This record gives sequence, structure tokens and C-alpha cells, in this order.
Amino acid sequence: MSARVTPEEIAAFADGELPAEREAAMRDALASDPDLAKQVERHRALAARLAKHYAPVLDEKVPDRLADLLTARSDETVIDFAATRQKQETRKQEAEKRAVPSKGPHWGWFAGPALAASLAVAVILGDTNSAPGVGYAGPQLAAVLDDQLVAEQSPAAETRVLLSFEDETGQFCRAYSGVSGGGIACRDDEGWRIERRSEGAEAASTDFRMAGADDGAILGQAQEMAAGPALDAAGEQAARERGWR
Amino acid sequence: MDETSAPVRLIPWKAETLNTAFETDLLALLPRLRRFAIGLSGNPSDGDDLCQMTIERALANRSRWEEGTRLDSWMYRIMRNIWIDEGRRTTRSLQTFVDEEAGSAIGGDGAQEAAVELGNVDRAMQSLPPDQREAVLLVMVEGYAYKEAAEIVGCPVGTLNSRLVRGRDALMQMLGEDA
Repeated sequence: MSARVTPEEIAAFADGELPAEREAAMRDALASDPDLAKQVERHRALAARLAKHYAPVLDEKVPDRLADLLTARSDETVIDFAATRQKQETRKQEAEKRAVPSKGPHWGWFAGPALAASLAVAVILGDTNSAPGVGYAGPQLAAVLDDQLVAEQSPAAETRVLLSFEDETGQFCRAYSGVSGGGIACRDDEGWRIERRSEGAEAASTDFRMAGADDGAILGQAQEMAAGPALDAAGEQAARERGWR
Repeated sequence: MDETSAPVRLIPWKAETLNTAFETDLLALLPRLRRFAIGLSGNPSDGDDLCQMTIERALANRSRWEEGTRLDSWMYRIMRNIWIDEGRRTTRSLQTFVDEEAGSAIGGDGAQEAAVELGNVDRAMQSLPPDQREAVLLVMVEGYAYKEAAEIVGCPVGTLNSRLVRGRDALMQMLGEDA
């Protein structure tokens, strides 16, 4: 009988993976073939030994360097406008109470892939009222805005694009962040028109700040300007191919 | 001041996301991912390196994970792909297990006898070809069904089955009758 049973079937039987119709035949064979039964036992013993061998890893403390990859971000995770306001106040920004909508932001549709690669940092949102008319991006920033995709940019990129979206007039806009300033720029006939900008962060070079809620403020403005969800990776790529027009 | 006129400084960035469920789920998977990584690479140090690369790649590619599909399978697939790629680049794992003591590093603070026994299993596992080793680990340690393991590895179920059998036979031979 065992001659008709392949080694694969013996192993599969030991693992409970044999199809039902073969399993019955195997049980018959086992009953009459002690050697076969012994092989099945060896398979099971091996499985038990391996499982036992590796089991202690599950009880070990996960090294911090691994856990930190996943937990560091939960501290300041949620875009919290209240926290943004508080920070701005403690930073003695002149009394601008306007920037912060009191209603909770609807971040659901922004939380798409465009944000997946996560956000940069150190933007101190300054005069949020200095809206349009602040000029156009210079060549360096324009190059970043032209070429850099959220999904592909390096974490070490000097200026990071936070996300891209279309505003109500159908122009493509991109929120970006860098130590020397962050903001939102929209592409028009002239180039990348700076729509919003955060204060240049000279202070940050000595007093280094983590991003935390500050990016939230800039993204909050992006959301106010956006006509729909942030572009996903494919959307960004397509927009770039069209020159953001 | 146009911001581009100032030197643009590099920003160490703090990863931030609006949806932490993904991170939370990954965190819960970490002990299992470590177990698989250590099994594949043969020792905790290389295993944790592999784990780190896997997490980083997963975070960078999270938009490719389809909600509703199994996150664990997705992570295991990423991990084994990195491991296979790394293995092509380096023979480090082979060198590691020339050193007898390296094997007993796993569960290192156990009793001496246990450490020796563990070392035997480790050395036997490391002698398996990669395709057999991953099949053995996925099914016999991680507890995946053949079909699931085959999907993670990216091969037909029958292929998985036969790799598994070859791996087991080799292990039983190396580890002796009491295996």
C-alpha cells in the first residue's frame, strides 16, 4: 500500500493538508503499515521540534530599533489643529487667531497614498495670512515641484513635497516643506505661484524642531484650497507628465 | 525673501501619518516577523536587520497593500523577497554558520543543553537551500497552509510541497531519529 503513497502525501498528511479523498486512503494504509505510521510520526515530531525551537523568539522583547520604526510616528500623528494653535501661541507668533478652524478637520480623504510616504518637518507656520501674491518659486524650488513625486522622493530630500492636489480652478498645487520654508505653490502660466508660505525657519537651524502638528497647519490650508482628494501616486505621475497643467 | 534664495537645508524628517492602524497592525506582527527573519537568516542579528529592511520597505510601499487582504502574508512576502535578493548579493549567511557558536545564539540565555540543541536545529536549517528553508519555516514554524505559503513564496502549491518534503527529509537526516 505504502508504495502508492508518495513522500509528498505523507508529509501533507502529517500537516493535515491531504485532500479529503486521499486522507481516507492514507488512514487505511497507516493502519496496515507500521512503517508508514512511523514516518508520519517523524514528520510530526520534526514539526514540533522546529516550532518549539523558534517559539522563544515570540516572547522576546522586540528590539527598540524595530519597534521605533512603527511607534515613533504615533506620538504626534494626528493632525491636530488645537495642538497647532497651542504651539503657535507658545512660540509667540503674533496674535493671529484666525488660522485655526475650530471645527475638526476632515482628514479622511486626505489620508491617501500621497501621504503614505509620510511627512517632513520643521515648518514653523508663521503668517498664515500672507496668502496670494507672494511671488513665484525660484528655480531650485520650481525644480523640486516640477520633478519630485511624493511616492518617490527620498526621505532625505532637502525639500519634501507633502502632497499634491487640484484647486477649485483646476490648477495643480503642491504643498512642500523645507527648513528654509514651506508652503503651497500652484502651477499657472508663469510658473509655480506661491499661494501660501510658512515663515522661513532660520530659528529652526539653532532650535531644531520636529514637525509634529505644524505640518498639519500647512496641510490644513491645502485642504481648504483643494477641490478634492490629494493626488495618489498615479495621479501625481500623470500630472507631472503633463507638466502640472 | 524667496525661500529658494536661502540655502535649502536637509531635514531629518519624522515620519508621520494620518492612519496609524497600519503601524499598529505591523507592530502586532513584529514578534512573528522576527521569528521568520531569524529562521531565514540564521541568527538574531541578521534577522533583525532583515526585519528592519522589511518594515522600511513596507512603510514605503504601504499604498500597495490592499486593505482587506492579509497584512501578514504581504509582510512575509516582502521579507522573503528581500532575503532572497540579499542572499544573491552576499554569502554572509554561509560564513555565519561556519561558527558553531553562532547557532546557539538563538534563545541564548537558556540552559546550556538547550542551547546546544538549538544550535543543532539552526545549523541544520542553515544547510538547507533557501527555497527549502523558507518552505519549512512558513509551514512548520509559521503555520501557514500550503496554499498560503505558496502564495507568499510565489510558486505553485505542488512545488512548495516538494520543496517542503526535501527540506524535511534533509532535516530529519541531520537531526537524527529523534527529530
